[in-house]
Amino acid sequence: MMTFLKKIRRLHPTTLFASLWLGALTFLAIFAPVLPFVRGYGERVKGAGRFKFGPGADFLFGSDALGRDMFARCVYGAQISLRVAASSIIVGLLIGGSLGLAAGYLRGWIDRVVSILVDILLAFPALIISILIVGRFDVLQANNEAFGWLTRTWSITFVLSLLSIAPIARIVRAQTLSLSQREFVLAARSLGAKNGRVIFREILPNLIPAMTSVVFTGIAILLVSEGGLAFLGYSIKPPSPSWGLLVSENRERLQEAWWATIFPCIMLFVTVLAFNIIGDRVARRFDIREAAL
Amino acid sequence: MRYLLQRIGQFIIVFVVVTFVVMCATRIGSKDVVRDLAGGTVGDEVIAKVEADYPYLDKPLVIQYGYWLKDMVTGNMGYSYAQSQSVIDMFQQRLPSTFFIGFWSIFLGLLIAVPLGIYSAYRRDGPVDRVASYSSFAFISTPPLVFAVFLLYFVALKIDTFPVLSNYIAPWDSPVEHFKNFFLPSLTLGLGLAAVWTRFLRADMILTLQSDFIMLARAKGMSPRRILYRHALRSSILSLITSVALQLSGLVGGAVIAEQFFGLAGIGTRLVFAVQQNDILVIQAITAVLVVVVVFVNLVVDLLYAVVDPRIRHARALG
Repeated sequence: MMTFLKKIRRLHPTTLFASLWLGALTFLAIFAPVLPFVRGYGERVKGAGRFKFGPGADFLFGSDALGRDMFARCVYGAQISLRVAASSIIVGLLIGGSLGLAAGYLRGWIDRVVSILVDILLAFPALIISILIVGRFDVLQANNEAFGWLTRTWSITFVLSLLSIAPIARIVRAQTLSLSQREFVLAARSLGAKNGRVIFREILPNLIPAMTSVVFTGIAILLVSEGGLAFLGYSIKPPSPSWGLLVSENRERLQEAWWATIFPCIMLFVTVLAFNIIGDRVARRFDIREAAL
Repeated sequence: MRYLLQRIGQFIIVFVVVTFVVMCATRIGSKDVVRDLAGGTVGDEVIAKVEADYPYLDKPLVIQYGYWLKDMVTGNMGYSYAQSQSVIDMFQQRLPSTFFIGFWSIFLGLLIAVPLGIYSAYRRDGPVDRVASYSSFAFISTPPLVFAVFLLYFVALKIDTFPVLSNYIAPWDSPVEHFKNFFLPSLTLGLGLAAVWTRFLRADMILTLQSDFIMLARAKGMSPRRILYRHALRSSILSLITSVALQLSGLVGGAVIAEQFFGLAGIGTRLVFAVQQNDILVIQAITAVLVVVVVFVNLVVDLLYAVVDPRIRHARALG
């Protein structure tokens, strides 16, 4: 126990802050339905409508036009935003990571095909292709019985995964390229190790630090994209809250009821900052160069 | 020369693939393309007119794409039946707003980043550098949407000079009004850009300041000011230009949000509207133009690089 506390004290204060924030946020997001002090995100409290309450003991972040608790909406917003961003980054890591690994290790025509694919994916204006795909998936869902399951959650996860494939593939490829020229890979090869063994036992473990950094920074970028899309009305549909959606719902009343817009913004900003801090710390700790640039 | 052709070839491939994929995307889930193009619930005579104007809509997608590409190349960008406006007119009306947001945000970004980046590198780990590096890290983590909200709340709503909703006013009509209307939307994007470029320029300048030619200049007794601006900045400026070009693609997305937030009638807001209505030709034309601009600027920067810096030219000739 003592060593654990000592370890925590040795952490950089910003890292400590970032981990505490993310820990608390994840805890709130997961246990929101059972925590007594978090209201339901759609629960309308009588007499609290029309932005009646500012931030206070009862309504931590104030109330909104329909008398809903902004704190509860921000917490459920965290749940939705984090879930979407995290699942997208996992898909991106699986697809982009395997592409990058194959390109960097096997070289030759695979490398060329992957590089072209990555270049093309990066040439798409991200936000534009996202609203187009989400918009069309809505139509697809409405018009076809077979696509009834294709809700906004699925569309947005699909789009964000698509966006994360190319940058991840690029970084993994660069890392794999430099790793596969190191002595230990040569040593393993000369002992007669097969490709699969070299990839999974020699290269993959050495990619873990870089991947950790990429996951954190990537989630930060995806949270920003999700926020932008939600603001434009192309993320989760109301009444489910997402931070960007809360901003677009309440910004008309910014002057009278600043809390309803400012608090979701602060949540989004601090969360993105926390993910970036941890990503940056990991990258510095393991001395990872920005292979993406 | 061979390199030039190679790059132009790449440019064409990227353009064709991206616009083709966008065209396919506009067809996802669509039951009746002609009806989408005509703008939803309209009479039979409009449908007949659309069919007459675009007789190729029942052909396979690749053929349709060929027709569309031919139209684009010959300058016929199509017609928005939903808005009764030709796409060319739409561009003339909407493009200036978006252009000025982009231009001023890059301008503001550089205006902040260049002096700050140079000074941070020159007085490394000094108080200015510390503040700049912490605040730029925080600014990089700030989404455009959050900048927009804070600028609206702390500037537009407190100071009457800046309107809450902006209008397009050309700088040649009234420079003052133009500034008032474009300052906040541009700053929304410019602050984030400034943060990225400050960090970039600082890192690049620190490397440059350690090189031998700077040492020589210093030994000759040259003033720090002259060394920084004449010698060090000159070699860092190229990488800064690349960084500017790299941010362009992200800037397009940011512009959509800034326009929507401050109510400017630009390309971005039009695109969001077109997606809602599935105004196919407008979506296709806007993405095509944006992709061309972004990829073209990157191509020019890349070529410029090779022209200015002989080392790169030679490295490429060898590879």
